Amino acid sequence: MASGICVYAETCNGKLDPVVAELITAAKLIKKETKETISAIVADNDCQNIINELSGLGAEKIYAVNTGRDMLLQDESAAYVIAEMLKKIEPSSVLVPATPNGRSIFSRVAMKLNCGMTADCTELLVGKREDGSCFIKQNKPSFGENVFVTIVTADNVYPQMMTIRPGVYQMAEKTTESAEVVYFDDIKAPESKVRVLESIPSEAETDSILSADILVVGGRGALEDGNFELLKKFADKIGAAIGGTRPMVDSGLIPFDHQIGQTGFTVRPKIAVSLGVSGAIQHTEGIKDTKLYIAINSDENAAIFNVADYGAAANMCDILSEYLLL
Amino acid sequence: MNIAVLIKQVPVSNDVSVDPVTHALVRESSEAMINPADLNAIESALLLKEQTGGKVAVFTMGPPDAERSLRDALALGCDEGCLITDRAFAAGDTLATARVIAAAVKKYGAFDLIVCGAMSSDGATGQVGAMVAECMDIPHVSEIQSVSLSSNNDSCVEIIKKVHEDKLRALVELPAAVSVNFGCNEPRLATLRSKREAKNKPLITYTNSELMLDPMMTGIKGSPTKVIDSFEPERSKTASMIKGSAKEIALQLKDLIEAEKGKI
Repeated sequence: MASGICVYAETCNGKLDPVVAELITAAKLIKKETKETISAIVADNDCQNIINELSGLGAEKIYAVNTGRDMLLQDESAAYVIAEMLKKIEPSSVLVPATPNGRSIFSRVAMKLNCGMTADCTELLVGKREDGSCFIKQNKPSFGENVFVTIVTADNVYPQMMTIRPGVYQMAEKTTESAEVVYFDDIKAPESKVRVLESIPSEAETDSILSADILVVGGRGALEDGNFELLKKFADKIGAAIGGTRPMVDSGLIPFDHQIGQTGFTVRPKIAVSLGVSGAIQHTEGIKDTKLYIAINSDENAAIFNVADYGAAANMCDILSEYLLL
Repeated sequence: MNIAVLIKQVPVSNDVSVDPVTHALVRESSEAMINPADLNAIESALLLKEQTGGKVAVFTMGPPDAERSLRDALALGCDEGCLITDRAFAAGDTLATARVIAAAVKKYGAFDLIVCGAMSSDGATGQVGAMVAECMDIPHVSEIQSVSLSSNNDSCVEIIKKVHEDKLRALVELPAAVSVNFGCNEPRLATLRSKREAKNKPLITYTNSELMLDPMMTGIKGSPTKVIDSFEPERSKTASMIKGSAKEIALQLKDLIEAEKGKI
């Protein structure tokens, strides 16, 4: 009988991805209802350091496979290792970070195990069947996040596998409790047909929207004549990174990796000022947890005013011009 | 090099709402187009073909009218099209969908490379490409920036993928699958002439009569995950509105921002 909540401990360059601590929080919330054990799975060149990082976050068991090599981009090999691990562990659910890596590897794992996978969940709730058994309601945005859907895995299918969007759950706090560690020495990573030749450091990013405390967000309204120039000056003045919604990215004014919301990033800045953002849910889901959210939009009925803490129904050009004089 | 491109026909607009009584999705418009990232996939495939020769076959699974998107792809320069359509394939999840697409590509012929867009603008799961690769037992790299011929090994392609701050250059042994990021290249446009030519390019249809898959493995019946509910997101908060002249608003903004900055 499948039992247990299993979190994929994603790693990069031998380090634990911070999103794993968020997934453990999600697992703890499920555990409150289902009383299941929380475990984590690690497959890396040498798991010891990662196990040390994982320990105390709240997983009771850590399953590990030392792969003996760095498996970066070798997703077909990683998927084999993880699928073999899951066959032994037989968890009832598997929580995976909705990251490029997580999506890529676990799509293959889901196919190997014939269990399917729900993408990009923003909320997990526990439901009870008539026979008293539990299942996970996997809530996720759809259709550009204009609606939310609840997805469930069929009754007789295990594990329930899902990816969870980074930034949705708070990180679990580290405690002194330790986890039982189980190595599967009999699982060997097969050869891969992918080989990394070199790592080229990217041109220095001027700012990163993920780590920024202060964020200026441009929407369709920022595309109008000269508005983007003002927006940049304003961001400079208040020391903010610049993010944007889909129209800004489509227009090429900001790079793709500065898109917030659907297919972009979920961010948690302390302060966000949105300019000309209509408030389509595909964007606001990615930024709703901001401590101070100020929105400026010329349309007083814009949906963004249902999300923001403070709003001004005004022309962004006028306001920014004045602000730059202060 | 023979290349298969997998595309999806998506709604132009994602404006949908939920009927408060039936919980059914109400679409505002039925206009359809090729998923934006798939245009980048087509462009990647055409660039490779221009260097190596061979052919580019474009596949889509969807309702019969998805043929329009295939014709659009042929007008961009793809050589052949394959429409995968059957009621038995409809409403499948990513797993059931990938099984059918993989079966169609296998039946169609041997390909060195499969290219698709990293994500669709409607479902946005980013899962189908990798699942197809798994079904076909070939390696894949997803969400890449570019794919090119390997300069010293013609059984491989070279890809560039961004991982966190770095760009990784990797060698992938063929046959393989890749998914390319939206915006990674500049898709070409169709011309009047290429649109005319597209009308005469071969386009075949596969239904389950051709693929002969177990209907319990496809479509809604073959999907381990199901949508059981849909709802509109809660929008309960209401912003305090700042009023006044532009200068007054700017001043209040500054106070708010400075006060919060002090807490960081």
